[in-house]
Amino acid sequence: MNKIVVEGLKYKYPLSDTLALDDLSFQVKEGEFIGIIGKNSAGKSTLCQALVGLVPHFYKGAYGGKVFIDGLEVKNQTIADISLKVGMVFQNPFTQVTGSKMTVYEEIAFGLENIGIPRSEMIARIDYVLDLLKIEQVKDQNPFDLSGGQMQRMAIASIIAMKPDILVLDEPTSQLDPAGSEEVFQAIQSLSKQGITIILAEHKMEKVALYCHRVLLLDDGKMVDINTPGKIFSRGDLEQHGVAAPVYTRVCKELGVRKAGTSEFPVTLAEAESVLRGRKI
Amino acid sequence: MKSISLYVDKESFIHDFDPITKLLYILFALFLPLILLSFTVSFISVGVSIVLLMAAGVIRKTIPVFSFVFLVLITVVIIQGLFRPENETILFQIGPLAMYKEGLLYALTITLRVMNIVSAFLILVLTTKPSDLVETLVRKGMSPRIGYVIVSVFQIIPEMMASMSTITDAQRARGMETEGKLSVRMKAFLPLLGPVILGALINTKERALALEVRGFNSHVPKTYLYEEKTHALSKWVQAILLLLLVGAGVWRIFG
Amino acid sequence: MKKQSMWSLRLSTAALVLIPVAVGVNYIGKLLAQLLKLPLWLDSIGTVLAAMLGGPVVGALAGAINNIIYGFTDPISFVYAITSVAIGLVVGILFFKGYISSWGKAIVAGLIIGLVATVVSTPLNIGFWGGQTGNVWGDALFAYILANTDSTWLASLLDELVVDVPDKLLVVLISFGIFKGLPRNVVQLYKNNEKIETLD
Repeated sequence: MNKIVVEGLKYKYPLSDTLALDDLSFQVKEGEFIGIIGKNSAGKSTLCQALVGLVPHFYKGAYGGKVFIDGLEVKNQTIADISLKVGMVFQNPFTQVTGSKMTVYEEIAFGLENIGIPRSEMIARIDYVLDLLKIEQVKDQNPFDLSGGQMQRMAIASIIAMKPDILVLDEPTSQLDPAGSEEVFQAIQSLSKQGITIILAEHKMEKVALYCHRVLLLDDGKMVDINTPGKIFSRGDLEQHGVAAPVYTRVCKELGVRKAGTSEFPVTLAEAESVLRGRKI
Repeated sequence: MKSISLYVDKESFIHDFDPITKLLYILFALFLPLILLSFTVSFISVGVSIVLLMAAGVIRKTIPVFSFVFLVLITVVIIQGLFRPENETILFQIGPLAMYKEGLLYALTITLRVMNIVSAFLILVLTTKPSDLVETLVRKGMSPRIGYVIVSVFQIIPEMMASMSTITDAQRARGMETEGKLSVRMKAFLPLLGPVILGALINTKERALALEVRGFNSHVPKTYLYEEKTHALSKWVQAILLLLLVGAGVWRIFG
Repeated sequence: MKKQSMWSLRLSTAALVLIPVAVGVNYIGKLLAQLLKLPLWLDSIGTVLAAMLGGPVVGALAGAINNIIYGFTDPISFVYAITSVAIGLVVGILFFKGYISSWGKAIVAGLIIGLVATVVSTPLNIGFWGGQTGNVWGDALFAYILANTDSTWLASLLDELVVDVPDKLLVVLISFGIFKGLPRNVVQLYKNNEKIETLD
C-alpha cells in the first residue's frame, strides 16, 4: 500500500524567483526506508517539510501538484492534523527545543500533552524513547544544558514519542560523533523494522547505503532518480549532481569490481568485503 | 542556567499551597484595606503577609525588593510631607523646611498600600514556580499558546543574555569603547544590541517550525504530565478569604 | 495592508514565538542601558519592534506579557502593564497605517508614543505612588512643581513627561533602525495575511 504519494509537486518560497521543488513525483510504500540525497540547497529540507505540510502552510509561497499522506491531501489539512501521522526532526537541535520546559523529561512530554495523550500512557512512552535513544541519564537536566549530540537525541525522542506512522528526519545526526550517530541509526532502523515509514535526508552516504531501501537523488529541486542504493550509487553522473558515493563504492569503482551478475558496484562494507574476498587474486 | 524568576525552591507549607489560593490571597490583601479604609487593617494585612513570608523561609529574598521600594517611598514621604497641596498643620520644622501632618499621613497611606501589595505578591512569586502558575491557569482555561509564550520567556532571557555577553566580549576585543563620555556609550548601544536581536529573530523561524510539528496548534484537549497540585486545606482557605471579603463589604455598606 | 489583517486575533505560530523574543529584547535593552550607564530606560525596544513586525495585537500582547514577567522580579511592574499594552497598540497602528516609514516620521511617532505612555502612566503614578515616577530627575521636577503650583496632576504629568518622551523617542528610533536592517525574509515571517499562490 502506498503511504506517501507525490504528484507533480512544485514549490516556490515567498520572495524567491526560483522553484525550490520542481515537478517531483514518486510513491513510498508503508514501512519503506527512503533516503534523500543531493548537494546543499538541492531541495532536501524543502521536500521533507512538504511531507509534513510546513510547505506550504507555514511558509505560504507558491505551490503546485499534490502530496497525499495515507490518501489525505496535505494542501487541505492543517499542520496539526498531519503531524499526528507524520513526525519531523529538523537539522538544528538547538532551535528544536521548545524553550518552555525545565527538564528533558518534560520536554519530551510537550508534544504528548498537546495531542492529548493520557498521563499514564505519556509516562510509558517517554520511558520507552529515553531508553531507545539512550538518554535516560540526562532526563532531569535542563534541555539547554545538554551537548549538541544529546540535544539531537532528545529531539528525535520527542518526535518518536508522538508515535507517527511516518518519520521524516532531516540530517538528524549532524551533531553526533560516529559512535553516537551509529547508535541513532540503529534506533531508527529498529523503528523501521516495526513498520514505521522512514524518510531520511542525509549527507552520510555510507549510512544511506546501509540502511535505506531506496534512495531519492535531488538536484536543483528536480528529482534525478529514485532507486535502490546499489543502482543510485553506481550511476556514472553522481559527481555532476554534487554527490559522492559511499567510500566502499568509490574504492570498488576504482578497482572495477562489480557485484556478481549485476552491473552494480558494492555500496556497503559487507558487500564490498564479500565481493573483494570472493575475488581470485 | 541562571534563572530570572525570584522563585525559591524550598519545602514549606506555603510552597505546598496551589497558585490559585495564593492569587486569591493577593486579591484579599489588595481589597480588604480598600473596603475597610482603615490603617489598622492595612497594618495587620502587611503583618500577616510578612509572617507568611517568614513561615515559607523566604524572608531574606524579599530584602532586595523591599529596599528598592523603600528608596522610592522615602522620597514620597519627604516630597508629600513638604509640598502636598492640602498641607496645613505643621508637625515639625527643620531649618526653613516645614513637615506637614496631612502630607505625612498621605505618605503613610501610600507606604502601607505599596507594602501591602508588594508583600502579598512576593508570597506568590517567591513560593511558586512560574511554570506551575502558568499550568494552573491553563487548566483553568487560559490559552495554552499564551501559556507557552509566558513560560518560554523564562528560558529565552538567559539564552539571550548569554549571547549578549559573547557579543560584548567580541566587540570589546575588537576595540569598541563601552566607557567614557555619554556619546561614546550611546554609540556602543546599537552594535551590541543589534546582533543579539537579529540572531534571536532568525531563531524564531526554526522554533516555530519545531512547535508546529509537535502539535502546538492541535485542537485536541490538552493533557498534562503532572497531576494537578492541590492542598487539603486549599478549599477551606479560599472559602475563608472570600467570606472575609464579602463580610467586610457587607459591614461597610450596612454597618 | 488591510485593516482586517492588522487586527487578526488568530496569531500565527511565528508571531507568537516573536513575543518571548520581544520580552527578551526589552530585558537586555534595559540591562545594556544600565551597563553603559545611559540616563534612559530603553526597556521597550522589543515591544516596539514586535508591534512593527507583528501588528498591534502582537505588540499589545508583548507589552502585557513583558510586565507580567517583570512582575516576577519586581511586583510593581504589574501595575504598568497597561502602559506597555498602550505602547504596543499605538506603535502597531501607526506602523501599519504607514506613519513610521521614514526617519522624519519616526521622530513624530516617537513623540506621540512618548505622550501616550505619559498619559496612561500618570494616573497609575498618582494612584500608586502619589504621583512620582521613581526617576531622580523627574521626581525633583515633581517636588518643584508641587511646591509652586498646588497641582498634583500637573506635577505628576510633567514628572512622567520629561522621563518618558525622550526615552520613547529614542526607543522608536532605535527600533526603526533595527527594523530597517532586518533581512526581508525575517520580516516576511510574521506577516499573517499572505495567501498560498498556486502553480497548477
